[in-house]
Amino acid sequence: MLIRTENLWKVYEMGAEKVNALRGITLQVEKGEYMAIMGPSGSGKSTLMNLIGCLDTPSKGDYYLNDRLVSQMNDDELAYIRNKEIGFVFQTFNLLPRATAAHNVELPLVYNGTESEERKRKAKEALKMVDLEDRMTHKPNELSGGERQRVAIARALVNNPSLILADEPTGNLDTATGVDIMKLFDKLHKQGNTIIIVTHELDIATYADRVIHIRDGMVEKEERIKH
Amino acid sequence: MQFLEGIVIALRSLVANKLRSILTLIGVIIGVMTVIAVVAIISGMNKYVETEISSMGSTTFLIRKFGMITSSEEWFKQIKRKNLTLKDMEAIKENCPDCGKVGAEAISWRKVKYKNKHLSNMTIVGATANITEIANHDVYEGRGISEFEVEHNRQVCFVGWEIVENLFPNEDPMGKDIKIGNDYFRIIGVAKKKGTFLGDNQDNFVLIPITTYQKIFKRSMFLMVFVKARDFMSMQEAMDQCRLILRARRNVPYDKEDDFAILTSESIMDFFRQFTRLALMVMGGIASISLVVGGIVIMNIMLVSVTERTKEIGIRKALGARRRNILWQFLVEAVTLALVGGIAGVAMGALIAKILSLTTPLPSAVEGWSVAVALFVASSVGIFFGIFPAMKAARLNPIEALRYE
Ligand SMILES: Nc1ncnc2c1ncn2[C@@H]1O[C@H](COP(=O)(O)OP(=O)(O)OP(=O)(O)O)[C@@H](O)[C@H]1O
Ligand SMILES: [Mg+2]
Repeated sequence: MLIRTENLWKVYEMGAEKVNALRGITLQVEKGEYMAIMGPSGSGKSTLMNLIGCLDTPSKGDYYLNDRLVSQMNDDELAYIRNKEIGFVFQTFNLLPRATAAHNVELPLVYNGTESEERKRKAKEALKMVDLEDRMTHKPNELSGGERQRVAIARALVNNPSLILADEPTGNLDTATGVDIMKLFDKLHKQGNTIIIVTHELDIATYADRVIHIRDGMVEKEERIKH
Repeated sequence: MQFLEGIVIALRSLVANKLRSILTLIGVIIGVMTVIAVVAIISGMNKYVETEISSMGSTTFLIRKFGMITSSEEWFKQIKRKNLTLKDMEAIKENCPDCGKVGAEAISWRKVKYKNKHLSNMTIVGATANITEIANHDVYEGRGISEFEVEHNRQVCFVGWEIVENLFPNEDPMGKDIKIGNDYFRIIGVAKKKGTFLGDNQDNFVLIPITTYQKIFKRSMFLMVFVKARDFMSMQEAMDQCRLILRARRNVPYDKEDDFAILTSESIMDFFRQFTRLALMVMGGIASISLVVGGIVIMNIMLVSVTERTKEIGIRKALGARRRNILWQFLVEAVTLALVGGIAGVAMGALIAKILSLTTPLPSAVEGWSVAVALFVASSVGIFFGIFPAMKAARLNPIEALRYE
């Protein structure tokens, strides 16, 4: 089992007020699965993604990734897990604006001490995977939205993570470009990657094998998609 | 890589915003500049004084009316003292068993003429015959003044290089007569070129017999007596004997201090050391204030930089950067900033030292160690004032940082 969460709670304290963003999420994801998380705005999808992605720790409950209890880890241990196990794709791309595509893709390798030559080789390989090897030296503002997201996907792939997380990856793209991106995820899934994607569009969600519906911080229902 | 990246980011932001960069670095620049310039000047001076004094020799001492004057009160007190006379010198020669050689000189400044050429403000030195040996004038051509010439008030002279260069550009100076005031002096010898010290041209002198000098310049007799002790061991005795002789001759009561000064190379060195210490203290003050101010400015700039790049920090953290990675990145940036300031300061300090030594009497020599110390201090300032912003960056929560717009 790649992911196992047990009764995850996330409570934001805003002064006297408490926001229960997640209220006891229990779910499991197997290696090689392609899962979508759906739900209305404010239902807690991003909060859950952040926990799964080790960007944040739960207020209550346990989270096991690869059978390791990550919900109790400190900052630097989480950073290590994020670097090694997880590839992020964000709605707003989150590329470094002043760095070239190649440099952006190299970034995760910088933080695990990969040699410069090796980094360049791997970054090129990852960009090739997303069909952007001819845009290596472009800065983000010299790329289209779809290309930027593909650079971000290459960056998520470069370290060969156990898990690729994408929070509304098509949210800032037009429909046609969104479809291209989803096809890319499809291809990555077929190559054996585990993918979790957050969306509120059903069209997008149906690319996955399994859809989890969240409402008010709880799992509402779960369905299998037949392709 | 990370290291390099930090340096590149720092340099890029410096170049991108030149005015801000200058303002950012001005404190560090001034601090480092002060250190480099002051150390350069002090060490230039020290070097000169040391060679100068070692050539005076450790067995020679000087007796004169004025001591090393460090305040105007001292000057006003000492100007009232009686002048030393040739008789004082004679008395020392006769009554001081431990004095090997005793000589004297007196100095004034006059115009020197030869044919239609002239040089103003030449140092006219009235001296005893042995002064060339005591006061280190190396003979280039001819000879120094003889006992005979001193005894008989001869109008002969031993001249410095400047005289030869300017008055005898295409002529042999030996045996020629130069005019000082209304009197003619025959050149019997030329000294080797010596260069300048503290802006003092050391080659613009005309040395004449002290007796002749006395006759011509009656009023300017600030006589200095030079004594070379028999050997190093008898130096102290020689000084004590001179002191007793002069106190007796000048009627100094037993409970009053000397009304003359005995200067050894050691006492002159002491004076310079004192001066050096004071200059270093002033320098230290200016440098530390500007470095602290410079450091605070760098800290502010770094805080702005951290805020501006919150999103970037979030991205880096999301991709696996640990606290120490982020800390390093910003620390390298701060140190690079400070070092750029430091390097600029070294360059400007060296320039100032150079300009000062060209336009004023102060000699200078930029010291390798002062450059090393200055750059070390500049980077320390970078680390010290960069650590707080860097820690602030390192501690950012990744999600909050990512969400920052
Ligand atoms: N840092 C925070 N502080 C306080 N409340 C927060 C914080 N982050 C999220 N919340 C609250 O938690 C709830 C869940 O937010 P979350 O971002 O997970 O929703 P979402 O499902 O991703 O919505 P959307 O589809 O609009 O992105 C919301 O009510 C939100 O206001
Ligand atoms: Mg969201």
